Amino acid sequence: MHKVWAVIRREFVERVRTKWFWVSAILGPVLFAGIIIFQIMQSIGGAVRDIAVVDSTSSDFGTQVVEALGTSKVIRATKIPAGPHVIDSLTRLVEQKELNGFLIVSDALKESGKAEYRASNLSLQTIEELQRALNRLIVKVRLEERGVNPAVVDWAQNLRVTLDQKKIARGHVTSESAGQSFALAYVMAILLFMAILLYGVNVMSSVLEEKTTRIVEVLVSSLKPFQLMLGKVAGAGAVSFFQFLIWGVSARLLISLRVPIARMLGADASAAQSIQLPHIPFATVAVFMAFFLAGFLLYSAMFAAVGAMSSNEQEARQAQQPVTYLLMISYLSIIGLTNDPSSTFAKTLSLVPFTSPIATPVRWTAGSMGTGELVTSLAMLLIGIVAVTWVAARIYRVGILMTGKRPTMKELVRWVRA
Amino acid sequence: MSEPVVVDHVTKKFAGHTAVDALSLSVPAGMIYGLLGPNGAGKTTTLRMIMDIYEPDSGTVRLFDTVAGGRAHSERIGYLPEDRGLYPKMRVLDVLIFLAETKGVSRRSAREKALEWLERLGLTDWRLRKVSELSKGMQQKVQFISAILHDPELVILDEPFSGLDPVNSQVLRDTVIDYRRRGKTVLFSTHIMEHAEKLCDRLCIIARGKKLIDGTLAEVKRTHGGKHVIVAFDGSQGGAQQIFGDRRLVAKIQDFGQQAELEIAPGADAQEILKALVNSGARISHFELASPSLHKIFVDLVGPEAATAAAVPGHAERVGAGA
Repeated sequence: MHKVWAVIRREFVERVRTKWFWVSAILGPVLFAGIIIFQIMQSIGGAVRDIAVVDSTSSDFGTQVVEALGTSKVIRATKIPAGPHVIDSLTRLVEQKELNGFLIVSDALKESGKAEYRASNLSLQTIEELQRALNRLIVKVRLEERGVNPAVVDWAQNLRVTLDQKKIARGHVTSESAGQSFALAYVMAILLFMAILLYGVNVMSSVLEEKTTRIVEVLVSSLKPFQLMLGKVAGAGAVSFFQFLIWGVSARLLISLRVPIARMLGADASAAQSIQLPHIPFATVAVFMAFFLAGFLLYSAMFAAVGAMSSNEQEARQAQQPVTYLLMISYLSIIGLTNDPSSTFAKTLSLVPFTSPIATPVRWTAGSMGTGELVTSLAMLLIGIVAVTWVAARIYRVGILMTGKRPTMKELVRWVRA
Repeated sequence: MSEPVVVDHVTKKFAGHTAVDALSLSVPAGMIYGLLGPNGAGKTTTLRMIMDIYEPDSGTVRLFDTVAGGRAHSERIGYLPEDRGLYPKMRVLDVLIFLAETKGVSRRSAREKALEWLERLGLTDWRLRKVSELSKGMQQKVQFISAILHDPELVILDEPFSGLDPVNSQVLRDTVIDYRRRGKTVLFSTHIMEHAEKLCDRLCIIARGKKLIDGTLAEVKRTHGGKHVIVAFDGSQGGAQQIFGDRRLVAKIQDFGQQAELEIAPGADAQEILKALVNSGARISHFELASPSLHKIFVDLVGPEAATAAAVPGHAERVGAGA
């Protein structure tokens, strides 16, 4: 045990000493701070867009559009009558950043519902605002044409429906919105994928280093190959936990500091408070960490075997592809998983050990998974880990002492059977 | 515990190619034991089986009178493998501490001993440098330290002198001899007979996985002897070549140019040869009656055809098919 501990310790200390570790440790909080600052800047706003409304209608529809946009906080509109070179000169203004964009309305709008908006930056918010205003106007104009009283139309349009979203998750109603839990599940899936891949590859290159420098021969003369593999995987795993810890603590710190940050940026406290944070229950964090750990064990055992059967970087890069593809399956299914977390597809993915490290936390976060299913998924994954580690350890045991050409599939099978 | 290493009828095959063939040898305690053989003779494979890196296909290896392999005794054994390697990005001191830890030494005492050895081999200034910054010779010394840092009873050195300059070779030799003086056992492999001749108490010569001869250096020389003469010339060799070719006088010859080692033919006399040489006009600077050199015995036993490994197509690049 003392020996395995020495391997874990070496793996941890040497990794944490690298520049690479600290770059990514710092990059996380920097990115997070960037998001917070961006959100505060957004809420301070100031981002009012100047647009022109080019009116070629015979009914002076453009004036009505400008009036309708008058209540908007983000758009300042000016009407310009259509002319021979108007479009060209407006385009030039957009290019010179004097104007954000321009809306072209014609008589056809009333019949086909089509208008055109050209801008240097097609922000979603502006487009939604424009569409909403145009919709209201067109409905009004068309109803009026058929003789409906304008006052009635205004009255009818004055009501807006708001949908109060509540999520039912495992018997509890939470106020978390669909958007929030979707985003949380998505972010988790990406984090899991990245972490498993990055740290798995770390294990691989570490195994490869010991093999190419031949130091492995000294090591296996005092440790069993399995002990060595175990030490490496545990060491690399500890590094990734440490990395997550740094990220988690700094994220927590940044959030608690968001009011002072907002003040520094000249915004009031309410701007900072408005930063939406999804509520992450402890159970979700626990599930995330448990499946990260399990997924890491599963994949790093495979990556260790890949490192052991290769004799240089290029070979390893090729040999790791099947393992990476296996992980990619769950990555590519993230959208499908988050869109419908209770589909048969999603259920299957959360039972298969190779995909469950990502699929299960996503389904759990989305609230479409019971405790029973969670336990089954974890049990399957643990069985998977034992089986994969057994096979990987046997490949590792023979592979680390081999040099020369990469083993064929047939040889690999022989190693496992031996 | 008179024999720390006993190898008994051990065979190891690699995909049809027999690297070690029913080899038996035993290393007595407190001796320097040389495992000699040409490249590809099976030396490294034998040592790896002793170290429990390979499992023999048949036969047994006994260490310290138990059947448990080298790994079980790793606290008592130091090992310098043929393929040298250290972590290139680690600091010298850290590597030494780590490797000692894997042999069960505590961090603190590993550190103390590492510093002591670095001092002794003149590497103190390099202790905080990365391994990759060291020259090859220095790296090899660091690796040697790693093999003996935990003060093992038995040290197994695979080709310890390859790649070392004469000065460092001497340092290493002194260390090995000092080690034996302290009652420890050293088993080392080499294909350079000069090293073996100067160091070994006992030796074993193998070729193509089979043992050719073993015993103490004196025994080997006696059983494989015949009378030998070493002749050195000072300029002109006169008619020496003709005399060397005379099978009535000289049974075998190793010609080194300005020096030659002769095995005297049965019934012939060294004085006869000397007289013949002087009469032929050769200028002789040295004439010595000698026991045969290990080199001579080695070449005689192994023969020029066995001096290279039996090539097995497709397996030449495998580890373990090597020496």
